[in-house]
Amino acid sequence: MSEALLVQEAGAATTAAPASGASPFWQRLRTQRAVLVAAVVVALLVLIALGAPLLAAIEGQDPTTYHPKLVDSATGGVPLGSFGGISAEHWLGVEPLTGRDLFARVAYGARVSLGVALAATVAQVVIGVAVGLSAGLGNRYVDQALSRITDVMVALPVMVIALGVLTVVPASVPRPVLIAGVIGLVGWAGISKIVRAQTLSLKSRDHVAAARLSGWGGVQIARRELLPALAAPVITYSVLLFPADIVVEAALSFLGVGIKPPTPSWGQMLSDADTWYQAAPTYLLIPAALLFVTVFALTVLGEGVRTALDPRAASRLPIGTSRKKSGKKSGKKKEAGA
Amino acid sequence: MNRFLLRRFGGALFVLVALTVVVYAIFYVAPGNVAQIACGPRCSPAQVAQLSDKLHLGDPVYVQYAHFVQGIFAGRDYSGGTGTIHCGAPCLGISYQGDQQVTQLILAKLPATASLIVGAFVLWMLLGVGTGLLSVWRRGRPTERILTALTLAGMSTPVFVIGLLLIIVFCSTLQWLPFPDYVPFTQDPAEWGWNLLLPWVSLAVISAAPYARMTRASMLETLADDHVRTFRAYGVSERSLVWRHALRGALAPIIALAALDVGMMFGGAVLTESLFGIPGVGRQLVEAVKTVDLPVVVGLVLVTGFFVVLANAVADVLHAMADRRVVLS
Amino acid sequence: MRQLSPRAASTAAIALVLALGAAACGPKDSGAASSDGGAPQKGGTLTVLNAKAQTNFDPARLYTSGGGNVPSLVFRTLTTRNREDGAAGSKVVPDLATDTGRPSKDATVWTYTLKSGLKYEDGTAITSADIKYGIERSFASELSGGAPYLRDWLIGAANYQGPYKDKKGLASIETPDAKTIVFHLNKPEGEFPFLATQTQTTPVPQAKDKGAKYELHPLSSGPYKVVKNEGDGERLTLERNKYWSGDDERKAYPDKIDVRSGLDSAVINQRLSASAGTDAAAVTTDTNLGPAELAKVTGDKKLAARVGTGHFGYTNYLAINPKVKPFDNPKVRQAISYAVDRTSVVNAAGGSSLAEAATTVLPTQKSFGYTAYDAFPAGESGNAAKAKELLKEAGYPKGLTVTLTHSNDKDFATSPEIATSLQEALKKAGITVKLQGLETNAYNDTIYNVKSEPGLFLGGWGADWPSGGPFLAPLFDGRQIVKNGYNFNAAQLNDASVNSEIDAINKLTDLDAAAKRWGALDKKIGAQALTVPLFHPVYKRLYGSAIKNVVISDWTGVLDISQVAVK
Repeated sequence: MSEALLVQEAGAATTAAPASGASPFWQRLRTQRAVLVAAVVVALLVLIALGAPLLAAIEGQDPTTYHPKLVDSATGGVPLGSFGGISAEHWLGVEPLTGRDLFARVAYGARVSLGVALAATVAQVVIGVAVGLSAGLGNRYVDQALSRITDVMVALPVMVIALGVLTVVPASVPRPVLIAGVIGLVGWAGISKIVRAQTLSLKSRDHVAAARLSGWGGVQIARRELLPALAAPVITYSVLLFPADIVVEAALSFLGVGIKPPTPSWGQMLSDADTWYQAAPTYLLIPAALLFVTVFALTVLGEGVRTALDPRAASRLPIGTSRKKSGKKSGKKKEAGA
Repeated sequence: MNRFLLRRFGGALFVLVALTVVVYAIFYVAPGNVAQIACGPRCSPAQVAQLSDKLHLGDPVYVQYAHFVQGIFAGRDYSGGTGTIHCGAPCLGISYQGDQQVTQLILAKLPATASLIVGAFVLWMLLGVGTGLLSVWRRGRPTERILTALTLAGMSTPVFVIGLLLIIVFCSTLQWLPFPDYVPFTQDPAEWGWNLLLPWVSLAVISAAPYARMTRASMLETLADDHVRTFRAYGVSERSLVWRHALRGALAPIIALAALDVGMMFGGAVLTESLFGIPGVGRQLVEAVKTVDLPVVVGLVLVTGFFVVLANAVADVLHAMADRRVVLS
Repeated sequence: MRQLSPRAASTAAIALVLALGAAACGPKDSGAASSDGGAPQKGGTLTVLNAKAQTNFDPARLYTSGGGNVPSLVFRTLTTRNREDGAAGSKVVPDLATDTGRPSKDATVWTYTLKSGLKYEDGTAITSADIKYGIERSFASELSGGAPYLRDWLIGAANYQGPYKDKKGLASIETPDAKTIVFHLNKPEGEFPFLATQTQTTPVPQAKDKGAKYELHPLSSGPYKVVKNEGDGERLTLERNKYWSGDDERKAYPDKIDVRSGLDSAVINQRLSASAGTDAAAVTTDTNLGPAELAKVTGDKKLAARVGTGHFGYTNYLAINPKVKPFDNPKVRQAISYAVDRTSVVNAAGGSSLAEAATTVLPTQKSFGYTAYDAFPAGESGNAAKAKELLKEAGYPKGLTVTLTHSNDKDFATSPEIATSLQEALKKAGITVKLQGLETNAYNDTIYNVKSEPGLFLGGWGADWPSGGPFLAPLFDGRQIVKNGYNFNAAQLNDASVNSEIDAINKLTDLDAAAKRWGALDKKIGAQALTVPLFHPVYKRLYGSAIKNVVISDWTGVLDISQVAVK
């Protein structure tokens, strides 16, 4: 029953879709409420990152000053006061052990985490799509060569790559750039594999085959026929790469390639907080919640962008939380059907 | 098909050789005085020099590499003090730090890692693809939303946080499960599974999200495809459309991704292994990189390489089976 | 021992030990520290939950303080540490030998006589020649890893390459008969009895030596023998050695000991606090309670009663290299000494329950000859005003910028957290600190090499035995500066008066008298502001609910496995 329903809905959506418009992309994007909410959340996060010094100044704190008096030294440095020492002075409480202000650290941490993750994700997507497309479209030798190089990169452990990069790159290169580089280098294979697989699959489909027969070049085919079709998996996957990259940055700090202290980052806050879940739960919950909100907002936004980019019908189906109205409708329908 | 196999084999060889060369090159320039670490910090320069001679660290890097290759085909002999010890082919060398034969070391660690990955893989595919399917079928319903939120929460939480929480809840507080302690499958299959349950779940929860999202996106994509519409117009049943076409179409990127993840994880699900005390290759690798134990690192990277290549080959075959338009040329 | 990694140090050094004794000098307070009533009984299985494996389980290769914790269950040594609580536990007592050694007049010749009836696990007799052979094989490059003292002290040992290459052996160790062993040293060493506690003085019969493979099944002279060694010491199963005749120190209550390693430290602490099933009879010899776990444990009275607290001789400090400008200027060094905020540092190291502020290089235990001093009183949270004043005098009225090198390890010792806390404190005194965080290997290669040694770095030193000697000599003896290898005299101090005082103390065989002079020497060197002592770590470790007879000495700072009973 539900399959039929799904397709009915798909059909309904098709007929209801605006046939044309000055800017159908934005139009479609705007019509999805969840996407709007997600966009607002992402914008807020970016604002927090950009405005970190200002926000910390408003709070009257900074991310590096130690407040030894605000933690109970004898019991391992638990913040004094309830909820991790949340107070008018320290909006999110203080860090265990050091007593540094958590709000300021979270705000400053957003700059590093979002910045590095963005740069790394862009690098991964660009390399991944380029390699994957070339492998998928090229002749078998190109495909073999690129695929094997991808295998080599995949099989090299992160630690070894980080060690290599750290040894080769001079110390004068700014840390965030280095980190984004390492993560980019480590994580593009996923995209490249997906793009290659999808390209191979698409290559033989009618419309691409037709384009080939009519003498289109590789670049043209890639741009006109493949890229739009690849957008779905690539966007879906890269939206997930972003939060993964935030966590990877934390892991890298163990290998000596992380952000230098005392600069905070969400990933490092998370990894420092893992044993504190019982003694100071807010210390773990705050970065975890932020990361989750970021991931969720980006997923919804990514889904929205993907749908809006793709003019074909079914993929434009309203998604997730935005579907309240139609969801109810379909629920009714189903009841009626049953 | 023979050609396909031949080409695959050549490609695999290239990957493995390239891997060893890269690792040798990196370790040649990386910091860390191998002999001093192996000897101990309080060793005198003379003792360090002695050990360095014994490990042939003074040789040019290409000579060391040649010895390594020779060991794989012909085996190697080394001094065990009271006598000479033979490391039979395929000898991946002798650990600088522990004096064990790398081949044996890896063979001893591989079953634990394989157990972890295979079990986790089954779980995360079920969880991931299942969530993806559900979210296509039950878009907007509570089940879909909860599952989606769960997989996303899983992926945005580091494994050591999820794993530790699971241990606390199920082993410490409720005491439903034993504290994970790896038991080899050959020794007691029931205990093996019981002890690996939490590691499997942890790894599955953090890995499922990409599969859920990919499944959903690709299925919606395929459902909107011209050929599916054509089928529909011809009166193909909706059930058949979803199962035989949408899901099939969605499989390509999922198989590619799965091959990648599984292959890569043989290099070790490091954090999971550490947290749950699983004596696998991942932990060994971290230790080896820290102590600049080149023979062990090269050996482990070779193993990862092997599984990456293998997983890819399997993926290609599966891909061809799933998507009849692709041929193994 | 293990200057490089303090936590691991305590870990590895402190293996397990047992004593079943009856003799007059046996521990008087056995059972005193027991967690609940009932005299400890023989029997049962003790589980050891550890992070690090017992790698290279060969007496020649182990670097231990006092013979280690787990190793001491299998390996008996000429002398050993006294298995008692607190200060009494930092005494050296006889083990295989009848006394702690008879020195010649100038303490250059040490003679030991073995007790009667000593046997290996196969029933054969232990001879003095086996002890000589055991020491000789520790010089083989195949079996590297031990402490440097035998090499530095025994005549002709510096270039000796071990019995595999040099069949003649070491002439400076004589065995006139099967029960007597005589050591000839190249200089007076009153602390030789301490050195004789290390596993290198464990007897190894030449006929049973299998070189690098010996570690799989070393012949036991102690209360337990190795029945299984999996994964290079990752899982070690020990059972009773029926030929062990009993000794004065090891109690050896459990019948079986199961050492499991490779566990995550958070999981170890969870298991010990849950104390379910076999974990009730479990201890750890290498995992401390972290700050977060401590916070939880302190809130729970039942759990808090199962925490063993101890002090291992270890000091974490800010090392200064006066060969690097501007640290050649004593006023700059003093300014830094005044500026440090030890409260913040202690907090960053886990809080006041896990670290105690230090103003001396020597640890605070009596046996080190601890002499209280605070050469540059910084108060609880640093004296920025005094530091600024000194900087002005030194010619830096506007402050200065320095680089602090630290490791990236999250070890609460030389970690980024400690470095940033110092950065904050020095900022108040007008000193801008740039941090240089290095990965472990790069860190060690940098700070222990005289050519690359930074001007300012975080370091630490642990005791090879509880005395001032193995602390102050490697750190400040000018003749121990190593030019082409790992160097630990970070200040590169080569002061004739310090060197000669070290020689003079080494001549003393009265260890109490020696301790006093080590303390005085520490104070004297402290005035030069070459190191800024920061804190001494405190060990807090959980043990299972069925564990009895907990003994924690000032020597190891952790529960002694040889004393533990599970029934």
